[in-house]
Amino acid sequence: MDNPILVADKLGVRFETAEGPVMAVDDVSFSVRQGEFLSIIGPSGCGKSTVFNVIGGLLSQHEGTVRVAGELIDGPHRSIGMVFQEESTFPWRNVTDNVAFPLELTGMPKQNRTERARHFIKMVGLDGFEKRFPGELSGGMRQRVSLARTLASEPKILLMDEPFAALDEQTRLLLGDKVLQIQQQLKQTTLLITHNITEAVQMSDRILVMTYRPGRVKRIVNIDLPRPRTSDIVGSEAFGRYVAQIWADLREEASRGMRDEEDHMLHEAAP
Amino acid sequence: MAAADQLSKARAPAVSAVTLVRVGLIVGVLAIWELLARSGWLYRDVVPSLIAIAKALVALLSSGDYYFNLGVTAGEVAAALAIGGGCGVVVGIVLGANRFLARAFEIYLYYLGPTPKIIFFPVMIMWFGVGSGSKVALGALSCFFPVALSVAAGMRQIDRVLIRVAKSFRADARQMVTKIYLPAMRHPILNGVRLGLGIALIGTLLAETKLSNKGVGFLIINAYSTFDMPRMYANLIVLFVIAIGANALVGRMVGLHTIRR
Amino acid sequence: MTAATPARRFLAGDLAPAATGLGCVVLFFIVLETLIRTGVISEYIVPPPSEVVASFGRVVMEEHIIRRFFLTIGECLTTGVMITVFGVVGGVLLYHYRILRLAVETWVAALAAAPVVLAYPLFMVIFGRNAWTIIMIGFVAALSPVILKTVEGLAGTRKVLIDVGRSFNLSASQQFFKIMLPAALPTIFTGIRLGLIFALINIVGVEFLINYGGLGQLINDLAERYDLPGTYAAICFVILVSVVFFMTLERIERWLRPTN
Repeated sequence: MDNPILVADKLGVRFETAEGPVMAVDDVSFSVRQGEFLSIIGPSGCGKSTVFNVIGGLLSQHEGTVRVAGELIDGPHRSIGMVFQEESTFPWRNVTDNVAFPLELTGMPKQNRTERARHFIKMVGLDGFEKRFPGELSGGMRQRVSLARTLASEPKILLMDEPFAALDEQTRLLLGDKVLQIQQQLKQTTLLITHNITEAVQMSDRILVMTYRPGRVKRIVNIDLPRPRTSDIVGSEAFGRYVAQIWADLREEASRGMRDEEDHMLHEAAP
Repeated sequence: MAAADQLSKARAPAVSAVTLVRVGLIVGVLAIWELLARSGWLYRDVVPSLIAIAKALVALLSSGDYYFNLGVTAGEVAAALAIGGGCGVVVGIVLGANRFLARAFEIYLYYLGPTPKIIFFPVMIMWFGVGSGSKVALGALSCFFPVALSVAAGMRQIDRVLIRVAKSFRADARQMVTKIYLPAMRHPILNGVRLGLGIALIGTLLAETKLSNKGVGFLIINAYSTFDMPRMYANLIVLFVIAIGANALVGRMVGLHTIRR
Repeated sequence: MTAATPARRFLAGDLAPAATGLGCVVLFFIVLETLIRTGVISEYIVPPPSEVVASFGRVVMEEHIIRRFFLTIGECLTTGVMITVFGVVGGVLLYHYRILRLAVETWVAALAAAPVVLAYPLFMVIFGRNAWTIIMIGFVAALSPVILKTVEGLAGTRKVLIDVGRSFNLSASQQFFKIMLPAALPTIFTGIRLGLIFALINIVGVEFLINYGGLGQLINDLAERYDLPGTYAAICFVILVSVVFFMTLERIERWLRPTN
């Protein structure tokens, strides 16, 4: 790949546990092109959230390097915008003030901030809700606010950790549509961490499948479905084939994971 | 095993650092105190020297008179807790067990609870006279509300499942009370009583300071009126040690009950 | 969590118990009135409720109740400002300096349980028989919950909100003022509410005991004048003020914690 915007090289993360050091993530390398949508998928325990934290700069104890546009990252990089899995809107600020938060930090005057924030609020489909508080919104709407907030900082790379995990299937599909729309409109480079195959295939150009712990790169799949994509693509034959292929990979890793857990429990139960 | 040793070694310096800070703070306060006492900045004896206070403490604790007064107060507090706390426990159990009664009456307890009770003292004097009766009455009134509310809340927390289990084994009413309710109620009741003890203590003592010729409260206000400051400090120190100690003691008893469960 | 916490709206099913409760209270007063009028209870020990109500007007007019009310409230508000400033600052310091927190937190909790008001004669010696004694006792008695709740609020900040701050590369002071403090505000207000309640109770109590001040002093005054209905009326008035104060604080707190 020439001129990738993000390069992860031999990432490794070691955690200290009661039974000694455990590699959560081992020798993970990949690159991301500008404007690409890359999903990282894997079974529970594969370390994908750890990868999220490393790339986001929140976890500095790791092996390997991450470069953004050639620059080595050391802490949260200004070109990377993060959207978290948990509820992360500021409950004491209304929607506008939440979305304008990154603009506030750059010292933008209030008038401009409000206008700029409104642009992103509209983009996520929340126009009319500018003055509402997160407490008055549904879970899906709150995640949209978090997304708008991150988009308002106009990051080169959008990094999302299972942002729709807590939502029901229909809301998830519709939001997925929204994210796709936005990504296609902004030509936004996006890195999505997920455990949901449908979501990954629907939205991505490529999918990186991780193994069970220690998380390694099992396979990288090119998703050759036509763009622009919408949620109707979910029913197509090609879609089904990609899902089946990835499901086979995941199933292998997931059952390895279950056997491992069972072994673990047996050992703990034995005196 | 080696890992456990590592852990305790890692913790050891942290513990002594905390102790160092505590000791440092106490020594610092005492030093400033003594400095103020000797400086003569403040009006004579408002901050007496630590030695004077120590002497007064010794004099206090070695006088039979003090123990007589302590006994009087202890008796009044015990009576106040028995009456106010006892009623509180009964009312709390009733309100905790019966939802209708709770919705009818608990709101009054909830809003009347956090009000100053000492203002009822003139009424208590009228009803019970100027002796110990009015002090006990005030202490009882003070601790009734928090005990009742605390016991009611605790009762409602008793796991509904346990009651259904007993019913499914066809336990009769007497068995329900002795084998389920009473054991489960121990904790909320003890907790309520611990709360009540502190409040009964305050109520009774405040009443003693207002109008009395006996008891620890009387001794404090007496020291004030004779401007015997070292004696007042000595009285206050002993009182606070007893109050905090009693609270901690009952707290430990409650805690032990929780562990044994 | 009491069954009676009036946070929920009044439903049809609440009518029966509420009516029963209110009905019993009314019945109680009617019975009391009857017993006193028929001489079973001496009217020189318990004045008839009707007379107490009648003397309300007199007490309000003649005893400058408005001025007294504002005096007591003024003392409360002064204490309130002091515990907010010192309590929040103290809580922030304890949160920041872990070693200090480990050393001192249990002492602060013990202070909440200690019978501070019993030392009022000492405060009188230091500050004199005036409003400062009253305010300072209120302050010492009410400081502890504010400190403890401030620490609790700051320590309990959801990790994801802190991560959001880190992802935007916030400086330490930005992180504190833009994220941690606003997130902790509802809990801090709970501490202030608890403190204010302790303060009011202690302040009115001490006014009564040292015979100085506003409403507490009124009761003492009327009692020493053997104005029986007046004393009862004044006590009722103080209870009323206290209940309204408590309800107002609750309402404010609920407004600060929407939809939780």
